[in-house]
Amino acid sequence: MLNRFPKIGISLVVAAMLATMIFGAAAAQDPLKICFGFQDLETEFWVAGHKAITETLRAAGHEVLEYNANENPDRQLEQVRECIAQGVDGIIIIPQDGDSAVTIIGEAQDADIPIAVFNRPPNDRSKGITVVADNVSATEQAVEFIAQKALAKWEATGVQIKPLIVVGALQDTNAIGRREGFFNVINRYNEKYPGMFADPIEVASEWDAATALANLEAAITANPDVDFLYTSSDFLFPTIRSVLEPRGKWVPMGQPGHVLMAGLDGDATACMLIEQGYVDATGVQNLFYEAELTMNRLLQAVANGETQPNEVLLDPGFALTAGNFRWQDVDMWGCKLYYEGFLDQ
Amino acid sequence: MSTLDDRLNPAAVRIMPVAKAEAASRRAERPLLAFLRRVLLSDYFILYLTIFFFVVASIFFPTLSAPGNIANQLSNMWPLLAVAVGQTFVLILGGIDLSVGSIMAVTSVVGALFITQTLDAPTFDKSPLWGTLISDQGGILAGSPNATLIGVIVMLLLGTLIGLWNGFAITRFRMAPFMVTLVSMIFFSALALWLTASRNISGLPEDFLVLGKGDIISVYLGPKLTPDIARRDILPMVTYPFVIAVGLAVVAQFILSRTVFGRQMFSIGTNRRASEVSGVPSRRVMTLVYGFSGFCAAVSAVLYSARLEIGRPSLGDGLLMDIIGAAVIGGTSLFGGKGSIRGTFFGVAFFVLLLNILNAMRLSPFVIDAIKGLVILVAALLDITRTRLINREQRS
Repeated sequence: MLNRFPKIGISLVVAAMLATMIFGAAAAQDPLKICFGFQDLETEFWVAGHKAITETLRAAGHEVLEYNANENPDRQLEQVRECIAQGVDGIIIIPQDGDSAVTIIGEAQDADIPIAVFNRPPNDRSKGITVVADNVSATEQAVEFIAQKALAKWEATGVQIKPLIVVGALQDTNAIGRREGFFNVINRYNEKYPGMFADPIEVASEWDAATALANLEAAITANPDVDFLYTSSDFLFPTIRSVLEPRGKWVPMGQPGHVLMAGLDGDATACMLIEQGYVDATGVQNLFYEAELTMNRLLQAVANGETQPNEVLLDPGFALTAGNFRWQDVDMWGCKLYYEGFLDQ
Repeated sequence: MSTLDDRLNPAAVRIMPVAKAEAASRRAERPLLAFLRRVLLSDYFILYLTIFFFVVASIFFPTLSAPGNIANQLSNMWPLLAVAVGQTFVLILGGIDLSVGSIMAVTSVVGALFITQTLDAPTFDKSPLWGTLISDQGGILAGSPNATLIGVIVMLLLGTLIGLWNGFAITRFRMAPFMVTLVSMIFFSALALWLTASRNISGLPEDFLVLGKGDIISVYLGPKLTPDIARRDILPMVTYPFVIAVGLAVVAQFILSRTVFGRQMFSIGTNRRASEVSGVPSRRVMTLVYGFSGFCAAVSAVLYSARLEIGRPSLGDGLLMDIIGAAVIGGTSLFGGKGSIRGTFFGVAFFVLLLNILNAMRLSPFVIDAIKGLVILVAALLDITRTRLINREQRS
């Protein structure tokens, strides 16, 4: 028994050394100059992600050059070129869309500067470090939860369920993945229970609340019997509320007229709405984990002298539902913000 | 020899030499003021201001004067210059073209749809062009050796046609340019989104991409310590966008300053009614000028699309302030009858430098936009002041 201790001890020391070499090398060297280019911080997710990345990097003593491209991919390209001209050691971007991300990654790699893409992946994931949530899986988990409730309702009443999806901007692979996850569940249930779901209504949001509002108003007016709703991003829940409430459809679960609702992101508003019973589930992107993955892999690349690191790092995500809310809320970044009073600010 | 004024007002003969002498003595007493006055009234005022800003800002932000940064800022100038040249023509007429951004968007996507080499069926099968002009094999010119040439011609023709339509509607129906181009802006923005089902179009051919960022002459500044020179250390000196945009600007300046057409533009911008009475074919001139503005927007769309490597249905969004701002800063009057391509060139340089400085100051984009707006306002006020001073000097 005692003989085992030296082996365990040596193993631990070796593991600690390896970990230090991998993750500590960058921190041990001179402060780095990291360029962080992002688009508008319109949603809680981006605000929290921006804060996590910039504060962590600065706390580690690195210089962070921040650039906001204001939803203009050409401006972001110009800003990344400015960063390259300033001789930065690494670049992190949140691109406007998957296509422009490919161009910007190419620009950085041509200049031999490692680049990481946070959460909004390029259409070609073979270049650059890409950190992304598994949108299909997280969506499927959230929609599955409300589909089960819909099945119970359909079996009890025999009335066909009318689903609606608020789609994101389809240049963004996140939006494509979320749409795919939604349709996977709907199609699976319709195969197993023919006639359970009507053809889903697709409402375009272009990741813009005003566009979503106008299109959702029109869709709900034309289809007042919608009773199953999935939004591709939680930031649209206030918009959805403003459409459903005047029509008497913003009702908590357990009461007649409740619209089964799910989203994706896991923001503070979604946390509050699940707690209050208006929203049934949301697919959660583990924001802090993704931010940490992005920074660690980029710093590691800089430390190792990798100029063109190419790797996809996946956040599997999970679904926070009315069923698991009591014990799993602490795992959701939005709930942490909510409990810290983020929505009161 | 006495002037006409002298003959009409004999008192002036006695007074003017005294006034001139007093003015001369005032200038002699205040050489700095006289110098500032000369600078302010110079045609190169914005250029002087740009150089001054550059030198001062470089003291605080040394990266501004790094060769790499200068090369970047120059590359940022060319697409903006191309579209600002067309807007300058329209402003000289006393008009305005709000539709340039949407012309850029629609020409960008139409050109890209023609030449793209691959399209993803689940993404694009909602486009109304699916199955006719586009398929999963790409656009109808995919694989053709002349794809880029024909694609660019299509873009330029389309931009020109939209511009000609604007001009036709303004002159034929006597509608306000603001209204006509506003409607065009809305319509063609929506058309670009509809044609692409709101998606970007990638997979553009390499020879098209060269138009946006290809180097003709590159330089390396510094010692050669290793056999290979890193790509980031090679600076583009003469690029395709430079040749295209500057070529367009030179032609435009020639039209403006050396042709009857150019003089007719100034005449219409100064007083359309009077120029019509004098026999200037105002309808034809105005229609052609709006057509030229559309052409310039299409040239800009080629440059932007090629450097972004995508046809983008929202290309040109938010660019209008930069375009009009660059022309106004360059001394083009919003009331018409005044302006030059040289001034617009300086205005574009100033605008790009301003953005570079504001970025270096790490300001939020909202503050940057507010400052850009203020700069345009100051430029317009400065222009009024300069015009007054010039008129006063001419009178005295």
